[in-house]
Amino acid sequence: MSTEPLIDRLLLEKLERLTLHWQRSFPGLIGGHNTSRFAGAGLEFLDHRNFHVGDDLRAVNWRAFMRLEKLFLKMFQVEPRVPVRLMVDISQSMTTGESNTSKFLFARRLAAAMCYVGLVKLDTITLQPFSNRLHDSFICGGGRHRFMPAGDFLNALQPAEGPSDFLACSKAFIGKYVQRGLLIVISDFLDDQDCLKPLQYLADYGHELLLIQTYAPEDRVPPWKGELDLEDAETGKHLEISFDDNALKQYTAAFDEHTEAIKRLALRNTGRFSGLSTRISVEEAIFGPLAATQGIA
Amino acid sequence: MFLLNLSFGEFAALFSVISAGVFALYLLDRSRRRQKVATLKFWRPAESPTQLNQRRKIQQPISLLLQILGIALLLLAIAQLKWGNREQNTRDHVLVMDASAWMGARGASGALLMQTAKSQALAWLKTVPSEDRVMVLRADASATPATRFERNRETIEKTIREMQPGASALQLDQALRFATQFQKLNSQSSGEIVYVGAGRVSTADVAVPNNLRVLAVKTPSENVGLRRMGLRRSASEPDAWEIYVSVRNYGLSSQNVAVGLQFAGSPAGSRTLTLKSSSEQEATFTYRTRAAGAVEAKLLSNDAFPQDDRAVLELPQQKNLRVLVFTNEPDLLRPVLNANPNLTATYESPAAYRPDPKDIDILILDRFAPPQAPKIDAIWIDPPAAQSPIAVASTKANAKLSHWTEDPLLGAGLRTRDLVIDSSATYKAAPGDIVIAESDGAPLMIARPAKPKIAVMGFHPVRSRMKYELATPLLFANTLRWMAPESFRRWQLNGGHVGSVSVKTEGRLDPKAVRVMDENGGAVPFTVDGDNVRFFTSDPGTVRVLTGDRDYVYSLTVPEVGESVWEAPDSVRKGIPRRIPGGPSSQDLWYWLALAALAILATEWFLFGRHRMRVRQGSVSTMPSPQRKAS
Repeated sequence: MSTEPLIDRLLLEKLERLTLHWQRSFPGLIGGHNTSRFAGAGLEFLDHRNFHVGDDLRAVNWRAFMRLEKLFLKMFQVEPRVPVRLMVDISQSMTTGESNTSKFLFARRLAAAMCYVGLVKLDTITLQPFSNRLHDSFICGGGRHRFMPAGDFLNALQPAEGPSDFLACSKAFIGKYVQRGLLIVISDFLDDQDCLKPLQYLADYGHELLLIQTYAPEDRVPPWKGELDLEDAETGKHLEISFDDNALKQYTAAFDEHTEAIKRLALRNTGRFSGLSTRISVEEAIFGPLAATQGIA
Repeated sequence: MFLLNLSFGEFAALFSVISAGVFALYLLDRSRRRQKVATLKFWRPAESPTQLNQRRKIQQPISLLLQILGIALLLLAIAQLKWGNREQNTRDHVLVMDASAWMGARGASGALLMQTAKSQALAWLKTVPSEDRVMVLRADASATPATRFERNRETIEKTIREMQPGASALQLDQALRFATQFQKLNSQSSGEIVYVGAGRVSTADVAVPNNLRVLAVKTPSENVGLRRMGLRRSASEPDAWEIYVSVRNYGLSSQNVAVGLQFAGSPAGSRTLTLKSSSEQEATFTYRTRAAGAVEAKLLSNDAFPQDDRAVLELPQQKNLRVLVFTNEPDLLRPVLNANPNLTATYESPAAYRPDPKDIDILILDRFAPPQAPKIDAIWIDPPAAQSPIAVASTKANAKLSHWTEDPLLGAGLRTRDLVIDSSATYKAAPGDIVIAESDGAPLMIARPAKPKIAVMGFHPVRSRMKYELATPLLFANTLRWMAPESFRRWQLNGGHVGSVSVKTEGRLDPKAVRVMDENGGAVPFTVDGDNVRFFTSDPGTVRVLTGDRDYVYSLTVPEVGESVWEAPDSVRKGIPRRIPGGPSSQDLWYWLALAALAILATEWFLFGRHRMRVRQGSVSTMPSPQRKAS
């Protein structure tokens, strides 16, 4: 476990003014800070509707009744309290790459930053590491002063052995967290199996997806040429190939196509997607690409 | 055939290392690189393994050989392979570095002229082909080789960098003649003679060799400096020194210069001189002192060459000879002894005789014989015959003084005519004794150069007829000077510059009586020509010339500045060339070797590299990608 904090104080101060956003309205949840299309027990006026028997008489607009002699009911906007879950990929594929900042460290820093943003706005955050299964989670909430244990939890995470299994993790997640909410997945989405179907499964269940793909520059554009003996970081499989410029172009095109498929899945399910290279800093990622997706603003 | 830049051993070692490196890189390039990646699903090979194996077996060894051959040719080109004998291809250059005193002056930029000359010499050296040899010649009043003909550039550069200005003026003609002669005698193929310097010379007549190149250093035109400084005892006043200072204006415009004189740090006089262009003036000072100390003449000017604005001479102490006379008639000898200002005489009664009186240099015993012999030099005047220090032969009446000694010290100026002494003792001269005066072969006065010295007079000069003769005071003066020559030595001090010095003395000289010494007491070679003593020194310092009773001291510390500036004729090559062409028989092969290497490498690429690329492109275009498969 590293003693160095994942996020420095300066960045934390900058994160104070940010908020985690979601687009869906989740029924039955109140007490949060996000607006909802659902009417309910709130403070902000939303609309009028005709009075029906059984409605709360305290919400009748008596001024309108005095003028029009008809009963109108005032409706108020609900401010739901939505659970925010943050899935962090800790599989071996997150440790690859030759850049200074590994994907694993980048993902934990990003998770810490988003956790802090949620805590500041009094959201309840669940940190859920995963690889081929769901690992021990950590739930934090109640304000910024609860960030320190969450940071320590993320700092203590170690890469897990074995291949990542999105399908198994998705099933376990749905079984573990029944209540729908915002689901932030930070991963490289690089596994030998198909990750699209499990993600679709999560979206279909009712979670709003914010998919953040972290990748090293070498993941998209490998700098190596010639005869290569490639080893899969998760499975340990070897592949001996001759690699040249044309093969590189094909590789990059395949990678981009994979990324595009993930993005399409997220947008199709009213979610959001952001691809972040580890070449940029966490601060640049949050105030740049992530802010552009309006997942955090 | 030889390698210019490398030895064959160095070439072989370098080639082995580079070839091994190429081979290792070749193997490394062909070996598979192990790499851990996040996933394998996007990776597809560029070409089929079958093609790889075929290419490796048939074509790659030839490719490797061609690459190594190309590198070998490139290395030979760098090593500058040449045909023929190394010695026949070299030329020998002489670099004449101006190391005269004037090179210590500062130029317009504030840098020393010597520093500028060094920069130019080093720049010229870089243009010299590496196979050529260079000799550095240090030129001031004499031309001295600083190196032999040398091919090692580091040695030459070090010699140039360590060159310092000397103390004498430049004899350019002599230096160029020496360089030409040296090239003829020691060189198989003469290169250039390169002169680097300011060109301020003693004589402007310079025989210019055909292969001369001049790297001129821009020199300041204005300078006023001391040329000579001299001190001598005043003839009229024993305590006074006559000091003369010679100042020269080397510049093109008139200058007003103040000359200051100091003795032991205290001001002793000053003069203001107005000097026209290329003129010299002398300022004379008189200073009274018997003490020893340093006399400094200083020009109160601020010019580019401050080294010649100051000259210092050390004044010796003027010491008096102390004489104690034991006599009952002091008035007889008092006029004789008081005539000499360098002498202090004390008169006491014979009863007060002491054999070794304190603070006394010479005793005079007037007609008495002491009970104990003196322990210092003594003059016995008419001693009792029985107790005379030199045995008395007889007593001669009416002795006609027929002959005075010819000793240069004892007999200087002694002349008498028909002098008859009423009565005088005659002595028996021993071997080594000097007979000062004799009468028909009988010695009347004898000087014995023993220790202590003794002079015995058979009669009293002042009590005889000789008292009217001029020879009487001279006799005493000569005898005292013979006994204590240091006290009567006449000093003359001169300040000047190093080089050839000619000393004009009074009268004809016996070469055996002349000694020339440096400040450490070492002998300096000299010649005697009539009344001139000539010697040469190239090192600043003090030189003493001893000629009998005279002592000439030359303080040769003033730097010598050439009086004229030499301008190179138009026919002479000037400036630093781009590159000095090689020798007539040299044949450079490096560009042919480089071209051959490039051709081989291009062929290798044409045969193998291009084909390899074409094969890769063809195989890639036909291979379906995994995405295509999926689609």
